Order: sequence, then structure tokens, then C-alpha cells
Amino acid sequence: MWFLSFIKTSIGKKLVMATSGLLLLSFLAIHAFGNAAIYMGSKYFQIYADFLHGFPVLVLIFGFGLLLIFLAHVGVGLLLFFEKRKTSSRYDVETRVVENTFASRTMPYTGAWIFVFLIVHVFAFNFGKPEGVKVSMLVQQYFSGFFYSLFYIISFIALAIHLNHGFWSMLQTFGLNHPRYNKLISTLTVAVPLIFLVIFGGIPIYFMTGSAAGY
Amino acid sequence: MMSTIDLTLKIWRQKNSDALGDFETYILRDISTDMSFLEMIDVLNEQLTREGKEPVAFDHDCREGICGACGAVVDGVAHGPDLETTLCQLHMRKFKSGDTIVIEPFRSIAFPIKKDLLVDRSALDRIIQAGGFVSVNTGGTVDGNSIPVSTETAELAMDAASCIGCGACVASCPNGAAMLFTGAKIAQLSLLPQGHPERKERARSMVTQMDKEGFGYCSNEKECELACPKGISIRNIARMNREFLKSFLLGE
Repeated sequence: MWFLSFIKTSIGKKLVMATSGLLLLSFLAIHAFGNAAIYMGSKYFQIYADFLHGFPVLVLIFGFGLLLIFLAHVGVGLLLFFEKRKTSSRYDVETRVVENTFASRTMPYTGAWIFVFLIVHVFAFNFGKPEGVKVSMLVQQYFSGFFYSLFYIISFIALAIHLNHGFWSMLQTFGLNHPRYNKLISTLTVAVPLIFLVIFGGIPIYFMTGSAAGY
Repeated sequence: MMSTIDLTLKIWRQKNSDALGDFETYILRDISTDMSFLEMIDVLNEQLTREGKEPVAFDHDCREGICGACGAVVDGVAHGPDLETTLCQLHMRKFKSGDTIVIEPFRSIAFPIKKDLLVDRSALDRIIQAGGFVSVNTGGTVDGNSIPVSTETAELAMDAASCIGCGACVASCPNGAAMLFTGAKIAQLSLLPQGHPERKERARSMVTQMDKEGFGYCSNEKECELACPKGISIRNIARMNREFLKSFLLGE
């Protein structure tokens, strides 16, 4: 099958990473839109949550699709990680001409952190959600805990770092590298993760600092 | 006035591909700063020969930066500290008296060490053999300007074609990838009309061969771009990625 031989190649694997990365990024964008409703108050957030879960079949199908995309990203990422282990560190003097970003060095580790975070997150708000508690209330309940909030904030920072390398790397893998757009791409690779960090990271801070008094 | 410097060299010595190598330290005195790096090693080798020791084996040919034969990792940087310079064009004026210089061969799984600083880079040749060419039917010679090519495109193709195949991109890549090399070779042909008929097979077979040789994948760290003595841009890797994707999605 052509896909099997495709995924066996080095560039094929990177393209799977880039494609799944792009799809995960679009999911994040929609997720950020919904969660931003929190800043408008519990009422609006509940309206959004009820609206979303008014389509249980669609949520199930898309959730399953998302899981598959996520597993592809993690699975191929792990393949690449173990492949890289074999070839690294081979000179007596280790220097880098380009002092490469912290983000690119730590991709597998920020990725692993996000993986753990997602397990916690999905169980907290999905499978492990207590019966009869509205999600808008649940958010407030969880984030009033200091360590829970801290865990979320650290995870969003990890996500931003991951995206900082991931965003431009994805475009380069797709073959998008052109002097006309490179300036824009290098701005976006900082801006996009920052926007997610502000929207998502703002939520626990919103509840922790008490700015959510009128929530 | 000619200035001279004294140096301590730590050079990787290895008898053959199977032997275990190690660093040997040598002291060199009164090295002219006008010498090239390879001339400096020549002086060392003279000294070693006089002492009845085995000279350091290294690859070199034109010594004017255009053939791609020379290359070693100097203090952790392929071709040494000068940007867009091959090892033979690196001059000793870049170093100070009393410096210790560590010289290692280009290392990669796909580049077995033959002796000392000499590595077998024929893996790159096999990538070219897999598709880095255009097939031309024999017959009457076609007029050189019968197919119009814009200057911009010709320049881009020329930039890619300036790759001398030295292997510095592989040596400097944290992941031992030959993406810049293969990318440049695919780009130079895919940009020009003469390379179009075979572009789909070319991208696929060259990438497949590259993987088979044991080169790594691209982790987008941009290190190759700066190690490249010809300043070849990773834009060529992006171009290869596009070619490869097209070949897989739309090829036969």
C-alpha cells in the first residue's frame, strides 16, 4: 500500500507529524474559542457547553477522530524520537553554529508533558466528571485549587514551547519556505503559541486571582 | 611582516574502519598565519614523517574551495569557524597563538571512517545515482536556448547547484541527515524544465536511497545551512519536501 511505503520514509514520517500537528492545531483553535466564553461568565460558558453537547453523536465521532490524529502524532513522534537516539552526540567538541532554540531541543519532552496533561484533563472534564455538576461550575471548583491550577499553567507553557518549534517546523515540512513569507512565519511561530498561552493559561489565573468574582 | 603562531592539535587517529580510534596530541610551532588549514596539516605531516610516524590521512583535492573533497570538524564545527568556507580555504589567521584545535572526521552512520580524518562519502554518490540526473535521448544537439528559463529561476537552480557534495551538512546535522544535500540536488533539477519529465520518480527514489544509506531525518534545526561552505538555504529542503509529497500523492 502506498501509505505504508510513504510512512516508512524519513520525509513521510515528518509529513505525518506536520499533518496531524496542523489538525491538532485547528482543534486547539476551536477549543480556545469555546473556552474563551469563560471570560464572559458562567452563563455563557454553560450555553456553549450545552450547545456543543447537544450533538452527542457528532461529539463522539469527532472525539474519536481526534484521538486517532493524536495517537498518530504521538506514535510517529515516538518512532522519530527513538530513531534520533541512535545518531546523536558524536563529536568530542560539541558546538552549535546556530544556538538552537530551547523549543526544538525539548520537543519530545514538552510533548510527553502534554500527553500526561491530556490524560488528566480528559479524565477530569470528561470521563471522570461528577454526575449532576455543571461544567461551568466544575471549572471554578477545579481551578480554585492552587496546585491544580499550577499544573494547568505549566502544561500550557509546555504547549506554547512545543508549538513555538512545531509551528514553523510544520510549515517547513509542508514545503512552505519562501523569502516573501518567512518574516510572517517567524512572527506567527511566536504569536500563535502566545495567543494559546494567553487564552488557556488565563483561565486558571482568572480563577486564582479572584478576577472571576462575578463569574 | 609574516606572523607565526604556535598550536596544540588534538587529532582523531584511526588505523582503519575496524580499528578503535582515539585522539593524539601534537605541538606545532611557527605556523605562518598565511597558511591554509590543510597546509598546516601538511607541515604536521612533514614533521611526523621525519619522526618516522604515520602522517595524518585526510581528503583534499583542488584546495580552492570548489571540489568538495576536503572537510573535517574543527572544534565542533564542520569546515571550521569561518562561514561559507571549505576547510582548504580556512586560514590560520583565524586562530591565535596558544590555541588548542580539535580536529575530528565528518561523522555519520552513513560515512564510515576509512582512516584518521578520511571518511567514505560514497553514500552521497549513491543518492545521485538513484535519480540526480536527467535522461537525454541521443540524436541531434538541441539548441541551448530553445527552452526559455527566467533569470530568477536559473539563479535559484544555480544556487542549489553550487552544492559541492562535501558532506558538511551531514556532519553538522544533529541527526546526521543528508537533507540539505539531497534537497539541493533535487531542487536544481526540479527548477529547470529539463528536470521536469523525471521529477516525480526522482524525488521518491533519491529520498528512498537517502533513507537506505542510514541518514537521519530532518529535525528542522537549521545547523546544516550555516555549516554549508556554499551557503545553500534550507529552502531547498522545503522544495524537496514539496517534490516528495507531490510524487507520493500524484505520482504513478
